[in-house]
Amino acid sequence: MPRLPNTSPQTLSVLALLLESPRSWHYGYALSQLTGLKSGTLYPILLRLADQGWLETRWAEPEQPGRPPRHTYRLTGEGAKTARTKLAEAAPLIMTRRLASVPGSR
Amino acid sequence: MQIHGFLGRLADVLARRVLSWLHRRVEPGSREWLDAITAESECADDGWQRLRWALGGVPLVWTINKRHQMNEPARGTMRALIVPGVANIAAIAGWYAVIIPATYVATHFFRCHLFFGNQPGGCQEHPFVFGAIAICGGVLGMIIALALRARFAAYWWAVVSVFNTVGSVWYLRSGIVDLPRYGATQSAMLMAATFGVVLAAIVRETPWTETDHGPLHHVGHSAGAAASFLIRHRITAHLIAGTISFAMADSLIRMRDRHLVADNVNHYAVLGSAMFAAMLAGLIGRHGSRLSARGTTPVERPL
Repeated sequence: MPRLPNTSPQTLSVLALLLESPRSWHYGYALSQLTGLKSGTLYPILLRLADQGWLETRWAEPEQPGRPPRHTYRLTGEGAKTARTKLAEAAPLIMTRRLASVPGSR
Repeated sequence: MQIHGFLGRLADVLARRVLSWLHRRVEPGSREWLDAITAESECADDGWQRLRWALGGVPLVWTINKRHQMNEPARGTMRALIVPGVANIAAIAGWYAVIIPATYVATHFFRCHLFFGNQPGGCQEHPFVFGAIAICGGVLGMIIALALRARFAAYWWAVVSVFNTVGSVWYLRSGIVDLPRYGATQSAMLMAATFGVVLAAIVRETPWTETDHGPLHHVGHSAGAAASFLIRHRITAHLIAGTISFAMADSLIRMRDRHLVADNVNHYAVLGSAMFAAMLAGLIGRHGSRLSARGTTPVERPL
């Protein structure tokens, strides 16, 4: 059965983090550190979310001179709304997975 | 401690090389996300962390290119297929439709038969006339194909031009009477010319050498300057392509007809075909790159 879009645990963890402060701009490196996702997992997720209109992107001026501008991200209004729904739908599933990963829970 | 520092610096250099290499794998218009990952790599604390971060660019590039391919047909599938096809057919079949009757007219005019062997009454009795028709036919075909931006046809006519030019010289040098191994040598020359053009076209047409012509400022100076061997040493790359083509043709000849390569003139003709073909195909590729740089992208990317 094909998986529903944007319901992978990795995508949900990115969405959950972005939802913590939906109006702030987030850096990719910080998102990677906080979610524990590698850049090769995180960036394709961000790209897909931006393509679907869930995420808006912006180039921010560098904090230190001589460094390149940084790409920042935040959820769009529509993205935040849909992300909340997805996370609510996925909550029981996440709970089941967590329980299954605990030794002796079966 | 020193070794640790050295390895860290090595990882840092590798990370920048990886990012530079990845930039060449993506079309200039689709580099936003790769630029993003590159900019963030500056936040890494050490070389190893930066290398791990940079390697994440590999799946990202795969995603970007896959997305690009999926969007590509939406931009005019039929036109993208038909226009290059028509241009190539016109440049190959159309020019044959001119050259073949012209050759027949010449044979009629000179009262000879259309063969170049050792038989009496053949075209070999007028070598300069028919040599000129063959060479000019190939070269004009190539020019017409380039004008139509039909690159496959241009490579096709490059093979014909090389074969006809080297063949004519070989023919005159060998003498027209009792030419040893006429058919076998001609086949070997054609094979070497084809190998030369195909290999040089591969050298020229690889995407990562086409999309980037300047230093990559966003991945640092050292990485930007470290462009690929193919970009920096075009002539050497084509000479190598020619040499490999000759080696391939030579090996195949030795398997079938060892005596052919014992004749120096025949052997030089095969070598000349391979080298000339590689250089000529390099010039065709260069012409295509210039068109791309001017924003007038050729209608197709064959081979």
